[in-house]
This record gives sequence, structure tokens and C-alpha cells, in this order.
Amino acid sequence: MVKFLKPNKAVIVLQGRYAGRKAVIIRAFDDGTRDRPYGHCLVAGIKKYPSKVVKRDSAKKTAKKSRVKAFVKMVNYQHVMPTRYTLDVDLKDAVTVESLQAKDKKVAALKETKKRLEERFKTGKNRWFFTKLRF
Amino acid sequence: MVAAKKTKKTHESINNRLALVMKSGKYTLGYKTVLKSLRTSKGKLIIIANNCPPLRKSEIEYYAMLAKVGVHHYNGNNVDLGTACGKYYRVCCLSIIDPGDSDIIKTLPAEQ
Repeated sequence: MVKFLKPNKAVIVLQGRYAGRKAVIIRAFDDGTRDRPYGHCLVAGIKKYPSKVVKRDSAKKTAKKSRVKAFVKMVNYQHVMPTRYTLDVDLKDAVTVESLQAKDKKVAALKETKKRLEERFKTGKNRWFFTKLRF
Repeated sequence: MVAAKKTKKTHESINNRLALVMKSGKYTLGYKTVLKSLRTSKGKLIIIANNCPPLRKSEIEYYAMLAKVGVHHYNGNNVDLGTACGKYYRVCCLSIIDPGDSDIIKTLPAEQ
């Protein structure tokens, strides 16, 4: 009886090209819109997970290994598995519904998402989110 | 410890309460609609049959944990649960949205 598909909830995408990837809900549309008459949400997720960083790596190698490739997508609630984790990274201003309309806006949104996810990864918090789900 | 043996009396009372919900309340039957009711936070109690596949059972329990909704494991398989709902088909899981006149939501989680 508690709504759990809220912004900042970490979810796992179940279908499509990004199946198995972890994502975070940025905006939830519980009642749908005219174009999508079903519950859906705007998620930003990790397309390519950062590699494992070892202590003996040089600074250059660490930087290369900590790179994150992001994706932004509108997904149906049915194609998403919610988890008990949250990721409080503020992506509301970077990623909006309009940023999915045009290619250049999408590129800008992805760049910003990538930057914020990478700096979150470097702090070492939310480790679960940045580990690949093995299946 | 050993789980308390489900007496015939409590089992019958669950069936009675379920029959009352079917008559006077709102419910949905089936896995897809149960998940939908949990996502929209409409479900108030979930009942799962005992021969539900374990992966599906865990998934429903996880959703219910996130939604803070009680789950009752029915003492019977999907055939029995369907009969208890007064239907002529099998029901593996069901979600009670509005109990109507029944007190199933108050009494069932208290028993566990």
C-alpha cells in the first residue's frame, strides 16, 4: 500500500536492449500519458558498467576503468523490476522528457548523466548500483 | 520452531472470508494483475497458492515487501484457491483491493 516506484528508486530493466542493466527512476508517470496510456517511468541507467579498479593500477588506468556509459529511456513499469535500493543522484534537471525528443538534447543529457554517475562511482557509495548483475 | 499446524477451523474461516470478499469486495486474480495492483499500491492483501512456482512466489513477496502489503500463503494449491474463490479455473495468486464487508485484512495478518 506504499507507492514504491518513485524517483531515485533503483530498478533493473528487464526487457529490451538494456535488459539486465540497473537504472534509476527519474520521473514516474503512474497514470500514463496520451501517447503512453500505461504506467511508465523515465529512467537513466548504466549502459556499460565501470570495470573493477585495483589498487596497483596507475592513475591513468583507474581513470579509464572508472568510465560509465549511460542510457536514458522511457520504460513501461511491466518491463522493470524494482529493488529495495535507492540512488539519490540529482538528475532531474539534466534528464527531462524533452531531452528524449531531439538528438542533440539527448546527447547533452547523456553527457551530464555520465558525468554525475562517474563522480558518484568514484566516491565509492552505492556500490551495488555500479556492479554488473550476473545472470 | 515448527510452524503451527493449520487447523481445519482456521482454513474454513479463510475460505468463508474469501467468499465474502468475492461477493462484496474488489479483487483481482492472476499474476499480472497482482503485480499491477502492487505497483499502483491498490492491493491490500495478496494470497498465493502453495504450488506457485518459487521464482514467481519470491517475486510477488518482494513486491509486497516494497509495497508493505501482507502476503498470505494459502493452504492449498491453485485448484483449491480457484474453488475457494468460487471460480471454475485455477487461481495461483490473487490480490484483494477492497475487502467489502469482510474482515480478512484485519484477521489474516494477525494470525501469522
